[in-house]
Formats: sequence, structure tokens, C-alpha cells
Amino acid sequence: MSTQPTSTMVSDSIPMALSNPKDFAKKKRVNRSAKLKQCKLDARREQWLSQVKNKGSKEEPNGEGGACGQGIHVANERGKLMEKLAIMPQGKEEENGGCMNHYSDFDSPSNSPTSHTSSVLEGNDSGTNFTGGSSSSNSSSSGGCCSGSMSEEEDDGCLDDWEAVADALAATDKKQEQHNSSLDSAPESDGNVVNMSSQVSGMDSSQQNPKGRGTLPGSPVSIRAWRPDDAFRPQSLPNLSKQYTFPMNSGRHYRGGSVWGCKSLSIPTSCPICCEDLDFTDTSFLPCPCGFRLCLFCHKRILEEDGRCPGCRKQYKHDLVEGETTRDAGCLMFRPARSCSMISRS
Amino acid sequence: MATMNSGNNSNTPATAQVVMPSPKQTLSTAKTVDTQSVLKRLQSELMALMMSGDSGISAFPEEDNIFNWKGTISGSKDTVFEGTEYKLSLSFPTDYPFKPPKVKFETGCFHPNVDVYGNICLDILQDKWSSAYDVRTILISIQSLLGEPNISSPLNTQAAALWCNQEEYRKMVEKLYKPSV
Repeated sequence: MSTQPTSTMVSDSIPMALSNPKDFAKKKRVNRSAKLKQCKLDARREQWLSQVKNKGSKEEPNGEGGACGQGIHVANERGKLMEKLAIMPQGKEEENGGCMNHYSDFDSPSNSPTSHTSSVLEGNDSGTNFTGGSSSSNSSSSGGCCSGSMSEEEDDGCLDDWEAVADALAATDKKQEQHNSSLDSAPESDGNVVNMSSQVSGMDSSQQNPKGRGTLPGSPVSIRAWRPDDAFRPQSLPNLSKQYTFPMNSGRHYRGGSVWGCKSLSIPTSCPICCEDLDFTDTSFLPCPCGFRLCLFCHKRILEEDGRCPGCRKQYKHDLVEGETTRDAGCLMFRPARSCSMISRS
Repeated sequence: MATMNSGNNSNTPATAQVVMPSPKQTLSTAKTVDTQSVLKRLQSELMALMMSGDSGISAFPEEDNIFNWKGTISGSKDTVFEGTEYKLSLSFPTDYPFKPPKVKFETGCFHPNVDVYGNICLDILQDKWSSAYDVRTILISIQSLLGEPNISSPLNTQAAALWCNQEEYRKMVEKLYKPSV
């Protein structure tokens, strides 16, 4: 654990030479605090996992994966996703169908009732069908984890699912394996979670557990949910809800944390016009569909003059900007509109 | 305590002296508040240009004024300007980069879009200017302009007329080329 902050410092020091030191100092701070949070979280998770180890040793390897830093964790998740994608074709067609349902649910929550019923039917058909469902949910769960840490919208889904699954589990489960198998479905979409939890409660555990065991050793699965009464339930769940209400913070958190590397590629750290550091409002400000980012000061100044985007030379359009915000995914959703209104007010 | 006091006493005049010039400075900085960001931008452009390592282009501010730069462009390979090198002057307005810099050839350049005074007819230095351009992209653009002139709106009609005959044009370039020291 103690090596992580230093490693981030090292990785920070490389771009620091290329760009503004102040800028990176700021980022480093954010990064470090995110790491600290992550360390605390991981420590707690480890504690919990060590307890779990005593109860059932099955979850041990997963626990190791979860205890790593978030970046590594995500990488692991991706690895697992790849593994499972490789496994996927071997499964039944219903698996694929189920998986498709999961993804469509991600896109539009309104789909969830239909997919809910369909997957319930699937689950009720036979035990084997259910196994298929569970393994497909494994794969989608890892997908959910990856995307959950990248974009905001899916986070919400994850959060709800975790809570729902955890509650459902607390109501029905006593055994850890069962816990584990349903945990796999944690970050799923709403419909399927309900489906899974209903299955968990509806079906007798004897039917489910062997199936779960059959799939588990083949593909490493992450442990992702906690019972509500668990003393070591990590603080990340309330944190997630906080991030939901304040998307700004969450974006910052994630950029400081796991997906920092990805984000830094697309969002410049300093305004290309004035070379000043982009603060958080600036980095989430996307005034033009061409994707050219600049700080609010420079944008205002350009609006006072010719009002054309430096990136594409097209006129900035207010209505278009607002259209862009709705199209824009995740944490950038509402802020551009807000910053525009700021400008028009001034 | 005595030593402390004496130390403080000796310090206070010094700090007073330090403080004294600051009101004057604030007056001057109030004027240069605008140019402060321009300075920052130009400095980072200089850094970027030196780090980029682009071949055939270079630029550096004049000793006394960072708002005036001297640049060099070498003629691209496989063009009539191959083997020639041109000095340019770039002068940045105080509202740079919202307004383009004034760029002129210091070395005489026989080119359809460069007049005898070294003025350059290049859209990105005029109406097509974007604040996203910088010295590096300007110099690269001028370098590519050398090999790809816009014949339809020439400043130098003789050069424009001769452009179709590349061999003759090459001879003319060599004849007129006077490398500056």
C-alpha cells in the first residue's frame, strides 16, 4: 500500500518536466488524496476479505485482486472481461441473449421491465438456463465494473445494483458462496439485478450453489457487494452516491484515480489559448461539438470578438452547445449549459 | 532580546525599501495584466517549439523583446526552394493569440504569395487566423506555402506566372536568393 503514492509521484514527475509544474502539483495532490481514499478503502476491503477467508476460502483469489490499487483493479477487471469474452462463445445462445439484454439496459433504463421478464423466464425454464444467466452476468459484471469507473451514468446503475443485490442477499443468504455468485451480478442493470435477486430468493440455494461453483474456479470473479449489516462494508458505496449528486467531484475523483491515464489523453491540462491551467469547470467545459476545449476566460473573450471556435473556426452556437450537453455522456452532462448561462449573464 | 531587536531594527529599513518600489510595480503591472497572459503563452510556445524538434523551422525571441521573434524556414525537399533558407520576423500584438502575429520575410523570397517587402499573403495570418495556431504551426504553414503557392491571388505576379515552369522558377530562386548573414 505504501508504495502506491510514491509510484504515482514518480509517474507524475515524468510529465511534469514537459508541462507546467504547478499544474501537476495540483493534480498530484488530487491524485494522492484519491489514492489515499483508495488505500483506506482497500484496507477495509482486505479486512473484510480476511474475515471471509476464515469463513470460506473460495473467495480468496478474488480478494487479492480487489485489494490491489484501483488502477490495477480495473486492469484486472478488464483482463477478466477479456477472459470471459473468450469464454462467452462456448456458452449457450441464451447467455448471449442475456448479455445483450444487460447492455441494452445500460443504454436505456426503460428497457429493464422487458428484459426483466425475459430473463426471469429464462431463469425459470431450467437450472441450466440459470447457470447460463449467471455466467453471462459474470461477464457483464466485469464489463460493468470497467465502464462504471469510466463514466458517470453507469455508475448510478452500479450503485443501485450493488445496494439491491446486497439487500436481497441479506434477506436470503447465509452462505458465502451464494453470496459470491450473486455478487457477480452486482453491477448489472436494474432489471437483471431484480431478476437475479428474485432468483436468489425464489430458488433454493442447493440448486444454485453447485452451478456457481462450477463457473467460479474457471473464471476469477470479483467480490463487489457487502451485506448492509456487514461491519466492513466499504465507504465507497455512500461515496458513489455522493458522486452522483455532485458529478464534478466524482469526475475529479476518477481522474485522480483509476482512469486518470485515459482522461489525460483527451482533456488538455492547460488552456491551449492562454496556457493557464484548466480548473475543474474548464476541463468539463465543452463549448463546441468539434471537441476543442479552452478555459472560460478565453471562451468569453472569443465570444466578445468573432465568436468562432479556435478549433474548427465555426461560430459558437448557444443552442448547439446545449444540444451538445445532452448528447455528451457522463459527468460532463450539465455543466457546459451552466457555464454558458454564466457567460450570457455577464 | 537586545540582539533580536537590533536584528529587527536592521531588518525593517530593508523591508521598507523592498516595499517601496511595489506601488510603482503595481501601477506597471496593472498595465501589463493583459500582456501577462500573452507572455505566458509565448513562453510556452517557445518551449513547445524547442521541444518539438521540427526540421526546417526555428524561431526565437529577440533579446530585448519577447513580442518580437526571428524565425527561420528552410525550403522543403523536392520543391524549387530546396536548399534555401529564409529568415522571418514575427511580431506579436498584445492581444495575441486572439489576433495573429505580423509575419514578414526578412530574406527576399521569390514567391507568388510574398511581395517585394516580404509581406506574406496567407489566409491563416489574416481572416483564417485561429487562436489555436502558434508559432510552430505558422512556420510550418509558411514552409508548406513555399512549395504550394496560391497562384490565383498572387502578390508577386511574375512569380505566379513563372510557377508553371518549375525549372525556370528554380533558376530564378537561385538567382534572387541572397542569404542573410
